[in-house]
Amino acid sequence: MASANSAEPRPAYLPDTVQSAVKILVTGPFGVGKTTLVGSLSEIAPLRTEETMTVAGTDVDDLTGRPDKTTTTVALDFGRITLNSRLALYLFGTPGQQRFWPLWEDLSRGALGAIALVDARRIEESFDVLGQLEEQRIPFAVAVNTFPDSPDHPEDELRAALDLLPEVPILRCDARDRRASYDVLIDFVDHLHSTAVLELQR
Amino acid sequence: MSGPVRPYVITGGRSRPSRNVLALESLVATVPGSAPEPGGLNREQQRILTICQELLSIAEIAAHLRLSLGVVKVLIGDLWDLGAVLVRPPVPQAERLPTTLLEEVLLGLRQLR
Repeated sequence: MASANSAEPRPAYLPDTVQSAVKILVTGPFGVGKTTLVGSLSEIAPLRTEETMTVAGTDVDDLTGRPDKTTTTVALDFGRITLNSRLALYLFGTPGQQRFWPLWEDLSRGALGAIALVDARRIEESFDVLGQLEEQRIPFAVAVNTFPDSPDHPEDELRAALDLLPEVPILRCDARDRRASYDVLIDFVDHLHSTAVLELQR
Repeated sequence: MSGPVRPYVITGGRSRPSRNVLALESLVATVPGSAPEPGGLNREQQRILTICQELLSIAEIAAHLRLSLGVVKVLIGDLWDLGAVLVRPPVPQAERLPTTLLEEVLLGLRQLR
């Protein structure tokens, strides 16, 4: 029943054999490279979708003179990896700013975990999102996205500055590079797996 | 009318789907031959049935049709109730982080790297 006026290009469908999907969030402050990482990993061109969110006007710093509630739109960029004939993985770029936290409950439900991207030149911009991940009890790893002028902080200094628990891995990546991005994702899932095995043995 | 309308006008004002198991990564496909009378569906529901002739996630449907995620969840919940789509829910979280699932993810990623 394809309609004659349909201007939509044919989507990249999943194989019909896929039975279920899992998801991992990619989060961090604005401009840290979330969409770049998702794009390096995804088998499809990253897609953008939007969610509307009701917020109290007083909490919104870029809308003035509206004391009542208002709605704002949040853009989510995401990608997909078909892992095998039965299972797909979705990667959701999730904004880390505090004002988007009302969306997190829905986004994070069922997620395997989250990769928190940190820009070594401005680590303080990641403090809020790390707190949110801890508060929501979402398993996560920190991935330091390397930019050409990034300072090379030793890991122990970075761990102290970010106030991370010893079990939180600190990974390094260049989000523009497919292989480096895959290594981060594999190391993170490996960490989740080891943690799950340890929990089973307890 | 075909102009813009506020997002939840097309859901009859509802912001929550009839089934709360729907997630961004839930997979949806139209059930062949089950399409209800087109007159009973709104334009967006018909667009969903058209785009879901093969398997896509709710997030992909929303992105391709340029509809908000919340709206798409409500409309797909209705189509599911009507038997017009099949939904493959995300892996149930019977136990937190089942090791076999994570092994499967890891194996897949290592093969693709």
